[in-house]
Amino acid sequence: MAVESPVKVPVLDYEKEMKRWNHVYKILSEGDPKIEHSPRQLVWRKNKTTLWHYAAEEKKYSTPLFFVYSLLNKPYILDISPDTSVIKGLTKRGYDVYLLDWGEPGPEDADISFDTYILDYLEKGVKRALRHSGAEDISVVGYCLGGTIASIFASITDLPIKNLVVATVPIDYSVGIAPDKWLEGLQKGELSVDRFVDVYGTVPPEWVNVMFRSLAPVNVSPYVGLLTRAHDSRYVDKWRRMDKWLNDVTPFAGAAFKQMFGDLMKDNKLAKGELVIGGKHADLSNIDCSFLAISSANDSLIAEGQSLPVMDLISSEDKTYKLVEAGHVSLALSGMFAPIVDEWLCERSGKIGE
Amino acid sequence: MAKEKYDPYKGFRELTGLWEKQMNSMLLGWSDNNEFIKYSSRRMENYSRYLELVKKNQEAMANLMNIPTKSDVKNVAKLTIQAEEKIDALEEQIWNLQDTFTEVNKGNMEFFAELVEISKQLKSELDKNVKELREAKKVKADLQKLRKELSDASELKAEFQVLRQELAEVNNVKAELQELKQELGQDQNQSKQTEKAQEKKELELAGAGK
Repeated sequence: MAVESPVKVPVLDYEKEMKRWNHVYKILSEGDPKIEHSPRQLVWRKNKTTLWHYAAEEKKYSTPLFFVYSLLNKPYILDISPDTSVIKGLTKRGYDVYLLDWGEPGPEDADISFDTYILDYLEKGVKRALRHSGAEDISVVGYCLGGTIASIFASITDLPIKNLVVATVPIDYSVGIAPDKWLEGLQKGELSVDRFVDVYGTVPPEWVNVMFRSLAPVNVSPYVGLLTRAHDSRYVDKWRRMDKWLNDVTPFAGAAFKQMFGDLMKDNKLAKGELVIGGKHADLSNIDCSFLAISSANDSLIAEGQSLPVMDLISSEDKTYKLVEAGHVSLALSGMFAPIVDEWLCERSGKIGE
Repeated sequence: MAKEKYDPYKGFRELTGLWEKQMNSMLLGWSDNNEFIKYSSRRMENYSRYLELVKKNQEAMANLMNIPTKSDVKNVAKLTIQAEEKIDALEEQIWNLQDTFTEVNKGNMEFFAELVEISKQLKSELDKNVKELREAKKVKADLQKLRKELSDASELKAEFQVLRQELAEVNNVKAELQELKQELGQDQNQSKQTEKAQEKKELELAGAGK
């Protein structure tokens, strides 16, 4: 009779190791993965901005969704893979989805400010979407800085916005994840980006990336995470898509960049109700449509304290706040965003045949 | 012995995670002071000034060599954007016109529909009137017939009147005849009585003679 040894000797899984290192080799040797979009149709194009329409697989709701993404990254994170695509998740659930892709500003776009983005691109885009869909009203969904832009837009527009959804949205810049002295220096005017931006005109993507990296200078965990789970093909595929997106930062139009640092971060004008866009007072208390704010508990870019004050600033009677167990990007990447939005919107969207 | 698969990366991942967190905390902690802010600001200013100088020199050199620079391309691109904006504005104007036309057409269609409806109503009214007229004509003919019949009846009535008169006259004649008859009867009776009386008288006379 064999006697079981009290000491458990771990055994190396060679098959798993082979898979792992094959995948690592593949990542190192191959180029970026190709991101395939859900079926979409071009509705409108102006300068670098494009308005896409993703038709519902089986249309259930007459109120379409209009996505406004951040100016700092590319919006394909919302449609990054067929399994977890936010947009596909919503078209599958019966919504017509419109996505405003800001595009990549070039040197000629240095003068584009938030005023231009909101009034000449966003408002016109929403008008086009309304005309294209033939709908009477629309639901606007803003993600990250896109949520800030969507909130400003909703506070000044006369267009029929039925519902406003904002996710991981920075509204109050008196708090943040950056060290206190950085914020203090910015607020006191000791740290100004104006001259730097003026020299470049349009801030190059490398500098935008530096801005992100400065908040977490040491960033090895994604690579260690990849090495740990490199044997899992699905994880590797997801990781590659995510990595491509993270490094695919967009340039930032100079005037808008200065406005973001000056009006929003330094003077915190939006939270104070002092922001003026195109001569109109962007007071968040003008927002009275149904409102949903989603924050991520593990967000490493936007602190919950930056989003939460919006609930008191708006005057909507129907307002909901949700804190979900996710990160800033994983909220969109994991596929959980679509069901959360659908759960809230289905009761608040016009239904076909009603 | 159950073979437990060994994962050499699990511990490594946990360790690097901790190390990364600590390193980031340390670096952000080091930079969380006014000196760092002032230093960064100064560095950024110097860098910007340096870039400005480079750009200025580039522009000057390119100008001397008659070579278009990035800012020239930028200006041309801006013109294209302006043209695009104008087209966009025109497109919106066309929308407005389209909307106006649609509204006008809708109004016209409503007006025409109303006209058609009124025409239909008029036609049905006309048909009804024609029918009524036909009926009225029929009634008129009937009336004329009645009138004729009535005049005939009047004539008949007159004839009746005449007849009645004649009848009355006949009655009168009859009454006279009755009276005459009566008178005749009386006369006859009288003559009978007279005859009887005369006969009696004659008889009496004849008896007396015997």
